[in-house]
Amino acid sequence: MSQIVIDAVSKDYRVANEAIAAVRGVSLVIERGKFVSIVGHSGSGKTTLLSLIGGMVSPSSGRVRYNGEDIYTWTSDRLSEYRCEKIGFMFQSASLLSILTAKENLMLPVAFRSSRTSEVGQEQKAEKLLHAVGLSDKLNAYPAQLSGGQQRRVAIARAFMNDPELILADEPTGDLDEETETEMMQFFLQMNNDHGTTFIMVTHNSELAGQTQQHFRMQQGMLQPV
Amino acid sequence: MPTLFSFAFKNIKRKPLRTGILAFAIALLVSALVFSLSFVQRVNGSIKKSSERLGADLLIVPTNARGAAEEILLENRIKTFYMKRSILDRVRALPGVDKATEQVYLVTVAGLCCSVPESMVIAFNQDTDFIIQPWLKEKIQRRLGKGEAVAGSESAYNIRLGLVEMDSMLFGNVFRLIGSLEKTGTGFDTAVFMGMENLPAIIAGGKLKNLQPDDISVILVKVKPGVDPAAVAALVEDNIIEADAMARKDIGKNIISALKDISRIFTMTIALTAVMSFFLVWAIFTAIANERSKEVGIMRAIGAKESHILTLFFIEVLVIGIAGSLIGIAAGMGMSAALSKGFTIVKQLSTELSMSEQAVIAAISFLGGTVICALGALAPIQRLKKMEPLLVIKAE
Repeated sequence: MSQIVIDAVSKDYRVANEAIAAVRGVSLVIERGKFVSIVGHSGSGKTTLLSLIGGMVSPSSGRVRYNGEDIYTWTSDRLSEYRCEKIGFMFQSASLLSILTAKENLMLPVAFRSSRTSEVGQEQKAEKLLHAVGLSDKLNAYPAQLSGGQQRRVAIARAFMNDPELILADEPTGDLDEETETEMMQFFLQMNNDHGTTFIMVTHNSELAGQTQQHFRMQQGMLQPV
Repeated sequence: MPTLFSFAFKNIKRKPLRTGILAFAIALLVSALVFSLSFVQRVNGSIKKSSERLGADLLIVPTNARGAAEEILLENRIKTFYMKRSILDRVRALPGVDKATEQVYLVTVAGLCCSVPESMVIAFNQDTDFIIQPWLKEKIQRRLGKGEAVAGSESAYNIRLGLVEMDSMLFGNVFRLIGSLEKTGTGFDTAVFMGMENLPAIIAGGKLKNLQPDDISVILVKVKPGVDPAAVAALVEDNIIEADAMARKDIGKNIISALKDISRIFTMTIALTAVMSFFLVWAIFTAIANERSKEVGIMRAIGAKESHILTLFFIEVLVIGIAGSLIGIAAGMGMSAALSKGFTIVKQLSTELSMSEQAVIAAISFLGGTVICALGALAPIQRLKKMEPLLVIKAE
């Protein structure tokens, strides 16, 4: 069974009584363990498409299926559980909580899990992930004490904290220098290879997109294979 | 691992001034609530206790002396008023009257007639009395002899009688104060009691110019079983024009009606403070909701349920509400103890609030403060929990 099936999904927004189509009749099938990239200009509907897959905004028409179930027939709580336990998000900016340290930011999604987990085990996992993104010396630093690139790396590590089956990454390396960008891409590919985590990555960087298994272009709300 | 509790506490500490202002507003509301509830309960309780301990179903006083009698009984004031003894026989003759006994009120004036400070002296009829005797029986187990007196618990303290027998000059006659009564919680606590047989000598001594041999101050009546005291009171009023009658449950009505006005003022003040606190909490939490909408969007996007957001913000609200309420209770109790003496009506009362009464007032006030705080924050929090995570992502 395909992990994600997007079936003729559209999303319209109303702005000042005018309907703006952000996504138009997109259909897409993504198999488990694939690394998919989407490129496109700003405003082409990439972020909206990721949000539709992530259960964060309901489509105007069409269906989004995860493991065969239409996620928009679920209750608000079940959608939250889906976002918490199945999905790892990387937003366009770091989106860290300013009053939590780097390690605490990583452990926050664990606090929202339905099932109880060992605190010690989770702390060790957070430390390991921060080490993997090169921030083992910044465990107790607050976001304000980190550079933009470091904050972005904390957010990347956070996305893996609940062992997600699917990573939705919206320009995940946008703030990073070239070297770190390459390191992070290697980290993603490793997670994809070693753990079978599915990736859907939105990027402007066609070089990064070239390293993925499936490659799409988004244009005026429509998706085309490249 | 950050829990919702630890996260909430970090948020509270994030803006100490704002947290302080909120807690202060709640403390203000709760202290006003504690103060006014204590005041009203103290006056109400005192009136209830006094009428319960009166020991008579009816109190008959000279016409227009009703207020003065209540002041003596409830507020420990020192007053005298007289009517003719013949009224006693007319009362006894009324249907429904089981027992009736008379008392005469005298006032001591230190230095002029007496060696005790200014206080009420109550002469009672030891043959017919059913009011003082039960208290006396507990303490001295015999009738008072001529030239003997006992003091109420407060008077005993005032005249430094303590447990030692001593002689006092009362109205030009030497009286032996042979003991003190237990605290009754009524105006009797500040009086000195003597037998009626001492009156002729006092009157003959000429120290009390306005008291005649056939004068009495009050008649206390017990009605027959099954008879409504209010009906007998109405009979007294209809048949004896020189006297007013008060059923036990009516004692303190004047004070209660005055108290109702004070209660209304308190209620208005508390209502205004509650509305002010409600809007302050609402305004501050609306600002917090706007300020932290991005944070909530992030939490929702990474898996927080609506209930997590509700819990997080309600922990913050409740911690502030509880802290403010506890400060308010302490301040209200302190104010109640310190300022209530400035109110004449309370100053004269002989009863204090019991521990259980204080606990109930504290609990009501605590609940009031916390609930107002939670209600004020409800709408902004409801709005926050419904926030679409996409808004955050789009806002980036």
